[in-house]
Amino acid sequence: MRFMYKAVLSAASLGILAASPVLAGDAIRPIEVFTRPQASQPQEFQSVQLIAQEWRKLGLNVNVRVLPWEQMSDVVWYQRKNWDATAWQMVGRPERSDPDEIIYNLFHSSTAEKGYNFIGYINPEYDAVAQAQRNEIDQAKRKELAYKAQEILAQDQPNMMLVHPKQTFAFDKKVWDPASVVNQSGIGIRNTWTFMSLKPLGEKKDIVLNSGDNVIAINPLYISGGVDSWVFELVYDRLVRVGPDGLPKAWAAESYEWKGDKTIVVKLRQGMKWHDGRPVTPEDVKFSFEAAVSGEAPMYAPFASNIEKIDIGDGSTLTFTLKQPSAAFVTSTLGKINLIPKHVWEPTINDLKTKEQNAESHQEKNPIGSGPFKFERWLTNEEIVLTANKEHFNAPKADRWILRIVPNVEAAVGMLRSGEINFLADFAGDPQVLLKAAEQDGDLEVVSSVEMGFRYVAFNNRRPPFNDPAFRRALSAAVDRQLIVKAAFRGFAEPSNSIVSPALGFWHNEAVVKNFKAGNKIAAKLLEDAGYTLEGGRLHYPGDQKETLAK
Amino acid sequence: MSHLKAVANRALQFALVLWAVVTILFLMFRLMPGNPMAAYIDPTFTVEQQQALMAQFGLDKPLWKQYIIYLGNLLQGELGQSFRYREPVAERIMALLPNTLILTFSSLIVAYAFGILAGAYLAWRRGSAVENVAIPLVLTTRAMPEFWLGMVLLAIFSFWLGWFPAGGTRSAGASYDSLWALYTSGEFLRYLTLPALTLAIYSQGLPLLLMRSNMLDVMKEDFVTMARIKGLSTWTVVVRHAARNALLPVMTSFAIAVGYQLQGNVVVESVFSWPGLGRELVNAVSASDYPLVQGAFLLIAIVVILMNLIADLLYGLLDPRVSHA
Repeated sequence: MRFMYKAVLSAASLGILAASPVLAGDAIRPIEVFTRPQASQPQEFQSVQLIAQEWRKLGLNVNVRVLPWEQMSDVVWYQRKNWDATAWQMVGRPERSDPDEIIYNLFHSSTAEKGYNFIGYINPEYDAVAQAQRNEIDQAKRKELAYKAQEILAQDQPNMMLVHPKQTFAFDKKVWDPASVVNQSGIGIRNTWTFMSLKPLGEKKDIVLNSGDNVIAINPLYISGGVDSWVFELVYDRLVRVGPDGLPKAWAAESYEWKGDKTIVVKLRQGMKWHDGRPVTPEDVKFSFEAAVSGEAPMYAPFASNIEKIDIGDGSTLTFTLKQPSAAFVTSTLGKINLIPKHVWEPTINDLKTKEQNAESHQEKNPIGSGPFKFERWLTNEEIVLTANKEHFNAPKADRWILRIVPNVEAAVGMLRSGEINFLADFAGDPQVLLKAAEQDGDLEVVSSVEMGFRYVAFNNRRPPFNDPAFRRALSAAVDRQLIVKAAFRGFAEPSNSIVSPALGFWHNEAVVKNFKAGNKIAAKLLEDAGYTLEGGRLHYPGDQKETLAK
Repeated sequence: MSHLKAVANRALQFALVLWAVVTILFLMFRLMPGNPMAAYIDPTFTVEQQQALMAQFGLDKPLWKQYIIYLGNLLQGELGQSFRYREPVAERIMALLPNTLILTFSSLIVAYAFGILAGAYLAWRRGSAVENVAIPLVLTTRAMPEFWLGMVLLAIFSFWLGWFPAGGTRSAGASYDSLWALYTSGEFLRYLTLPALTLAIYSQGLPLLLMRSNMLDVMKEDFVTMARIKGLSTWTVVVRHAARNALLPVMTSFAIAVGYQLQGNVVVESVFSWPGLGRELVNAVSASDYPLVQGAFLLIAIVVILMNLIADLLYGLLDPRVSHA
């Protein structure tokens, strides 16, 4: 009897469903999330496992696909319609202390087809804000626009921001005075400022540091690997350097001043010399910017292409006239272009113009800059030796800067303890291991600080269901970022909901992170409100939406 | 005359095998998933830049055209330019090859000298207590992964005892006038010891076991029995008669091991931060740096084929019973 009653009831409910198909769309197809392998990216892998677990609770069928970087980037970047979601990361660099590059290039619709907006996020309102912050020279007004951009992104969740990791470095405090170590915000203690100011306490005066990656090139006209920039930031000066606070600071320029929104006047510092002894002239400076757009340095060209002309005035002033107003110009152009000697590079560039190769493949035997360190020696995949330029206006206190290539992380920690290196500048391992080693050793100081770079899960905004902001909001809200911080990053990260790191205090909109609420119930509610339904534990599209991408 | 013909025949085979290797190398890395452009993905990277790079790398041309250009360049001895380092592949390989060769040969010579002596000794002491301990020990060293062995040696001799440095070929900032000056310095020997020892421990098992089993075979031969009957001393019998004959296959395995080791160095080079070819090869593969990968593999293939050829020819010289006719 009871059985009959049940059967009738379920038949009736089936009848209701059949009669009103508008109530639910198709079941959402199994979705795929990419991550790199655990062996190479343990934190990313762990994060994605946790995320998949939370998404499954919402009624989604989630497949985690493990791909090495080469394959992952190939699909995500070159086959933009063929993926659902992927873990991704942005690394911090001094010139990214100005948020323009990230606000504009990652989300502006103009870069969606082939540029860095590989997720295909298109929002005209956002485009307008991204463009406006680029043109706004008034810092306070620009800050408001940067805040607005972060708010729109928090609302739309084109990506699911996870964390800003903490970078961990260490040094021997018996060799270097801990007070002379500079923590550059968003970069950490391994930075140009530290290398210039490190003060030796005893007999050892060489900074010996490690890198896991090889140096690719030491070329002021080629943007190669991240490690390469450690080297050429020391050998070459720039008009402006990003300061320890993340804001631009006049460097080879004694001062700079905006005259209107398209003109900036730069006064060159007096008495600077190239490493070969010749003086640094305004002509050299002008030449450096022209070399970038000469057609022989394609990677630097975008940073100088906004310059209409450069006029050399009396004394040592240079007037830059821009094609478009650009608020990020000081950081991303004056702070990016390496100053190079005209007498060295002009003949080279003229010669290269007659050849198929460009300046990117021109490795000088003895690179000449004007920076705080001089190039001395480069042994392929083994070490780079620079010597202090004692004549520099900000001369280093150390004698030499020696970069050792150490691909084995465990060995690097051992070397730090044995004294083979005295500054751990690259550490990809577990920070707890390092802290423990420091505790046992007694001579080491470990410093962790929040990066300006970030880890995230990119949604393919082109593909349903990820084209629906409500769906993206729900998926993002499903995951407690504290869980990611603790379980995947072992506490060495800051939870994130904004592309601007808290390390960039001036630009970071704290409210969007604070107001972000996460949890399974919140996510389920968001989906329900948007019309998504659960049928037999499986999440279905709202309305009568069909699944068009199911295999 | 027939000997000359045999050499010519071998040379032809050598050329054919090389061509096959070259073709496989060309196709293999291009058909593998991954894209050399992935190394350049950056927010500032524009469409024009991508296209310019593709053109610069010659990747905008159809595959068959790339293949023809590649073959043509090879015939002129041109290995091309590395995508990543933007420098001639030959230059890069030549900068790293000496380090790899010295590590390979020093470790193999130690391994084979030890393996041959110990193998002969163990054959002679067949059935003794020494054998019961030694054979399982040798099998254990054969089974230990190189990176594990390397890390253990590093932990003991470098980090715990502090006898040897942990990585590189010289101390930080040390300058030498030439590679020769470096290689003949005492400092270099200290840096070489641990990586060479790791490779030697890993490699000695093969010659040892080979030598031992050959010896056991040879000792059963009539001429050995004859020598014993003649009343020659055990030493003369073992060394002059048995060992010399048992040595041949071991020498062949040495030639092959050189080729094998060139690529097998990858792990040890990474553990001990040794600036050699193996490490570079791994980097080049993961960066889809086709010219560098092709160049490095080609070099290894040439060495392997050449060593096989030498082993083959030497065999005929050392043992007149083997003929090439």
